[in-house]
Amino acid sequence: MARMKFLCDAERCIECNGCVTACKNEHEVPWGINRRRVVTVNDGQEGAEKSMSVACMHCSDAPCMAVCPVDCFYKTDDGVVLHDKDLCIGCGYCFYACPFGAPQFPASNASTPGGKSSDWFGARGKMDKCTFCAGGPEENGSDAEFEKYGRNRFVRRQIAGCVQKCVRPKHCSVVTATCSQIYIASAYWFAAKARKCGAGAPPMASLITMSARRSNSREADACVDSATCRGYVGGLR
Amino acid sequence: MKRRALFLTAWLGLSSILGGASMTGVAANSAANHQSDMQVMRQTEQPQNNAPVWRRYAPDGNIPPRQPGARAGVLIQASGETWRQIRNGPVTLIGGLLLILVPIVIAVFYALNGPLKLHGQPSGRLVQRFTYWERIIHWSTAITFVVLAVTGVLMFFGRYVLIPIIGYTGFSWFAALSKNVHNIVGPLFIFCVACMFVMFARENLWRRIDWEWVKKAPQVLTGKGHAPSGKYNAAEKGWFWGGVALLGLVVGISGLILDFPNFAQTRETMQIANIVHGVGALLFIAASLGHIYMGTIGTEGAYEAMRTGKVDETWAKEHHALWLDEVKS
Repeated sequence: MARMKFLCDAERCIECNGCVTACKNEHEVPWGINRRRVVTVNDGQEGAEKSMSVACMHCSDAPCMAVCPVDCFYKTDDGVVLHDKDLCIGCGYCFYACPFGAPQFPASNASTPGGKSSDWFGARGKMDKCTFCAGGPEENGSDAEFEKYGRNRFVRRQIAGCVQKCVRPKHCSVVTATCSQIYIASAYWFAAKARKCGAGAPPMASLITMSARRSNSREADACVDSATCRGYVGGLR
Repeated sequence: MKRRALFLTAWLGLSSILGGASMTGVAANSAANHQSDMQVMRQTEQPQNNAPVWRRYAPDGNIPPRQPGARAGVLIQASGETWRQIRNGPVTLIGGLLLILVPIVIAVFYALNGPLKLHGQPSGRLVQRFTYWERIIHWSTAITFVVLAVTGVLMFFGRYVLIPIIGYTGFSWFAALSKNVHNIVGPLFIFCVACMFVMFARENLWRRIDWEWVKKAPQVLTGKGHAPSGKYNAAEKGWFWGGVALLGLVVGISGLILDFPNFAQTRETMQIANIVHGVGALLFIAASLGHIYMGTIGTEGAYEAMRTGKVDETWAKEHHALWLDEVKS
């Protein structure tokens, strides 16, 4: 079975924020919410500056699913983590648990940079996050679905909006390799065959912690690389 | 002269804070420089190997934000997973067991001992035990507490208990109602607890005589004996200080942090507040079951005392002899 994963090549990303804009435009998400963001390290230092586009990573063992008090999350056969806004009560627990800061709330200052303080008494509104352009539990392609979850490109067999708008794509491919062999293409999504990537993999955040704690040997470097890579394919192993 | 000294202290304090801040800033900067130097070196030795950069991307790595917002520069926050493990693990399991076991223990105790009855005959003479305002405050606190406990437990355990029975849509409706009621009644409860503390604290101060009650607690609780006590006995004082005052403070402060996320507190703060709130509230509920039992079916005449404010003289003599003496003198 295919598993949808986002990979971003920090070698190619130029921090144009095109993916952020494309996503916002595609789904017409509420004011103050960016489903995707770009994080840059070592800004301005030649040879060391790297950028990475990040949104919901559609984790194998998704923390948001585990902590939701109303159990509104579900996972599609393609490994895409979706949620039901009709069930969501806006408690914010998914936002506490998520390693990537993906869940956001239309009326929350805590999750929305620069947002207005309209969330007195914890009234956040319904959670919104990246859907891998796969919509939600409403009928595929319906107005109700677009209203709540944005456009369903997935059902039309289109790649995600952010990927399509990336200014530096290399190629679009279905990766069938094991994780250590993955070559990452710029801000780009692919369906990875989970041949060696069954369930039960530890959540990616802990994987990376484990690797980062190892000694400073070349082996450890390789380990950090592959673990991070695995992290970015969302615990795929 | 005095003003000058004040100015000097303020200046010293401010400069030491700024000094400390700039020192930590220097430390963070040098770590970042080290990492970027490593990456530049790596680029020539092993092209395409970005390990030094990835280390910076590691959980909770401090990346200078390029977008506005407190946490926009954090790529991966690891504490969420810790919070999940603690919340979904021991807090849910032990808390759930506590809420099942405590009522069972109380039921067994009641079955074995029955209620505490008056030993003597009711005299028919009534003594005022609680004033009108004391009763108002008590029942306001009690009602808000029960509302918060029910809605809180519903949100915490409903996923495991109620979804299988009433389904997703039905439970979501209850959970949304619970969340909003909980968030609005919460501050009311804090206000009630504050009033209660002011009203009841003086009579609840610990006295040496209370140790007598503690020593004779098994006999007193099973109705085989009495120990002299003031207006409140040792157990009531324990509930007041440990429950109402301490747990009230813990649950109240952590609750306010969760209830008003609009002061830019970070996810980490709210994760800690959530665990503190959950543990505190579950202990609070478990302890309250004991109080509710003793105040209703556990002790004859106790419920009437808080309802009408008056108790029979025999009741006062048997349960709170020293207080009766004070009232009569």
